[in-house]
Amino acid sequence: MPLLECKGLVRRFGALVAVDAVDMSLEAGRIRAVIGPNGAGKSTMFNLITSVLKPSAGEVIFAGENITGLPVHAVALKGIARTFQLCHVFPALTARENVRIAAQAREHQRWRFIGGRHVVTRSAAAADEALEHLRLTRLANVRAALLSHGDQRLLEVAMAIAQKPRLLMLDEPTQGLSLEETDRTVEVLKSMLGAGNLSVLLVEHDMEVVFKLAHDITVLHRGRVIADGSPAAVKANTAARSAYLGGTE
Amino acid sequence: MSLGFILAQCLGALSQAAVLFFIACGLTLIFGIMRIINFAHGAIFMLGAYVGFTIVAVTGSFLLSLLLAPIVVGGLGMAFERVFLRHLYGRRDGGAYLLLTFGLAVVLSEVIRVIWGAQPRASGIPDFLRGIVVIVEQPFPLYRLFLIAAGLAAALAVWQFLERTRAGLLIRAVSQNAEMVHALGTDVALVRTAVFGLGCAMAALGGVLAAPLVTAFLGMGTTVVIDAFVIVIIGGMGSFLGSLIGSVLVGFVQVLGAYYFQDLALAFMYFLMLIVLVIRPGGLLGRED
Amino acid sequence: MSRNVSFALTVGICMLLPFMVPQYSLTVLIEALIFGLFAMSLDLLVGYCRLYSFGHAAAYGLGAYSAALILTRLLLPLPIGIVLAVLVTTLVAIPIAWICTRSTGVSFAMLTLAFAQLGYAMLFRFRDITGGSDGIVGIPRPPGPLGMTWFQGKTGYYYLVLGCLIGSYLLCRAIVRSPFGAVLAGIRENEAKTIALGYNTRAYKIATVVLAHGFGALAGALYAAFAGFASPELFFWLVSGRVLIMVVVGGAGTLIGPILGGVFFVFLEHELSEITDLWPLIFGSVFMTFVMFAPQGIWGILTRRSNPGAELPGAGNETSDAAA
Repeated sequence: MPLLECKGLVRRFGALVAVDAVDMSLEAGRIRAVIGPNGAGKSTMFNLITSVLKPSAGEVIFAGENITGLPVHAVALKGIARTFQLCHVFPALTARENVRIAAQAREHQRWRFIGGRHVVTRSAAAADEALEHLRLTRLANVRAALLSHGDQRLLEVAMAIAQKPRLLMLDEPTQGLSLEETDRTVEVLKSMLGAGNLSVLLVEHDMEVVFKLAHDITVLHRGRVIADGSPAAVKANTAARSAYLGGTE
Repeated sequence: MSLGFILAQCLGALSQAAVLFFIACGLTLIFGIMRIINFAHGAIFMLGAYVGFTIVAVTGSFLLSLLLAPIVVGGLGMAFERVFLRHLYGRRDGGAYLLLTFGLAVVLSEVIRVIWGAQPRASGIPDFLRGIVVIVEQPFPLYRLFLIAAGLAAALAVWQFLERTRAGLLIRAVSQNAEMVHALGTDVALVRTAVFGLGCAMAALGGVLAAPLVTAFLGMGTTVVIDAFVIVIIGGMGSFLGSLIGSVLVGFVQVLGAYYFQDLALAFMYFLMLIVLVIRPGGLLGRED
Repeated sequence: MSRNVSFALTVGICMLLPFMVPQYSLTVLIEALIFGLFAMSLDLLVGYCRLYSFGHAAAYGLGAYSAALILTRLLLPLPIGIVLAVLVTTLVAIPIAWICTRSTGVSFAMLTLAFAQLGYAMLFRFRDITGGSDGIVGIPRPPGPLGMTWFQGKTGYYYLVLGCLIGSYLLCRAIVRSPFGAVLAGIRENEAKTIALGYNTRAYKIATVVLAHGFGALAGALYAAFAGFASPELFFWLVSGRVLIMVVVGGAGTLIGPILGGVFFVFLEHELSEITDLWPLIFGSVFMTFVMFAPQGIWGILTRRSNPGAELPGAGNETSDAAA
């Protein structure tokens, strides 16, 4: 059974059909990349899966459970962590505190308003671990607003992995990153996949990253799936090529 | 319930709506241009009432107060925008606007208290507008008819201004896409100042018109800013037409509330507000950005 | 470590104050501490959640009137009356919080203002219970439980208020350092992200509004029993305005800043009102200046912050592990 299944997802904005009857599935332990030109509906897809937007039609099934239309925070608690296209962090808080709050979300006693020291300590440890993974430890006490764009994106990834998710959804994680930072991200993702129990859904424009990481690729164009398969298959697909790969990026 | 009675109630609602329109229209225009809710708008309405009172006391002319009070208060509004509000553009935290306009409301209330004292000030209905008109066997105050006429005139004037004049076009353009207009060479900052001044002038005019009926008193601003806010939410933030329709709606609701719920009328108004905000909690997201 | 030392020192000095100042100053001092508590209660909303309430007078007024009614009608011992007043207000605050937190920003502010105005209007509507514009007078300080009477005198009452303030401060401090408090910081910094992480931010906001009302009610109840009367002015929007000013000028998001803001505001008001009638105007102008140029407030400036709540007290952010 696939970990994530999108069945006939449709999202309309007035007359515009941003997502048009999209079927997509993701098997556990694999990375699927969603690619396509700007405006193809990739971020909208993400928003539909994470319930930031409600679909006009269709369903989202996660681990056999229909999560369509659940509140956003409930979807996150099912084990889905995502990053955003426009980097979303907590600007006035330190990097460590950013990740700690992310890690804390899994704690059952996160609501505790008196005491709860052990919750704070545990999540702090998880935060340090995630920061270490992304080699951001030296920036732990720096306020997020003061970090470079690249470091902020990496911070966001650290926050996502600190949530110990089953599904990691990354929306253009390498946008604006240097080569070294991009490599770092790829490395982290690969090692986490190797460790097992993680699946990744990735929106990317950087084709090198896509072909390095992805097991499967979905190509979107004007809200529709025009190709779906292994990297080799998609490369060979003429429709995909003309719409996207061969075109401008 | 005779036809005359119903008619009188409707006219009463419309006169209520007229006063509300002056405030709501200004509030929505300011929002359209600046994307902020001017919390001080009620206090400005109140200031208009007091300034109007003084002009009448000094010159004896109601008509003069109708002309001068909006100019004075509008000018003050523009000064406030230039000196204070401008500093806040581009701030990440939208709370600063809220606090600043709130601070202005507090300061204005205190200034009024210092200058005019804590007692309500009444100049009363001017002689030429005093009197009762009989409509379908029901007596109806002439002044209220005057209010309706004033409201209609203002609505017409603003509508024509926005639709037909170049300045009006500019205002509409800035409220749609300020950056574009700026790129085309217009001084957007000037437009903002002018619109803020216009909005304040309208609110002040509303105050001058309302004062003969309700007297000028401390605290008249707070209730009215909530009413105006509700109207703007109902009609759509930044929509002139919306403020007109909303004013009429709320005017009728208030009159109905006063009739059926008497001293709970105030509560009734707040319940309306709650309902509106519950249905449209986004409030400020009512407008496409 | 020095933080705790200075805290202990301050508390020590406060405890000795009744012996160092004349009796009439003690009255002002008690009022100042009550206002400090009131301001701190609002800081939970404004400083930690960035929820600007324009109607916090409702918490104060509800606490005051609840205490007034409980003490005059039921003649329960003072401490119990106060606790009950706080409980009643907290319960009433739950539906209010539920409604207000449906919106944010201006809409939230308007809703809170509307509730305070509603409360104000209700006082006049139900004048049989509330005494209308006269309010409730002759509020006693009944002794007990167990025959305690130390709070019936002025000095005794001072210690009661001081104890409540210190206790509330410690409680609030614990709250903002807790996991719950960290979520509030998240909501303040980026609510969308906080939701995306899996937090039901609405619930947290409701809880914070209720907590703020609880502490605000404590201040109101203490005031009612001190002054001996409760009147409708307590609900007036300018009261909400003053406390908001105290929080911002004192330093939102620091807990201490608003307490100091409240205390100094009362003292300044006392002194300035002798000299000039213009002091509210001065305060309003000072407030606007702070909003524009020093939003971190006086305490924020003194502790060199550039952003309210920049350093989140929590694990890993402090070099010393301060006692909660």
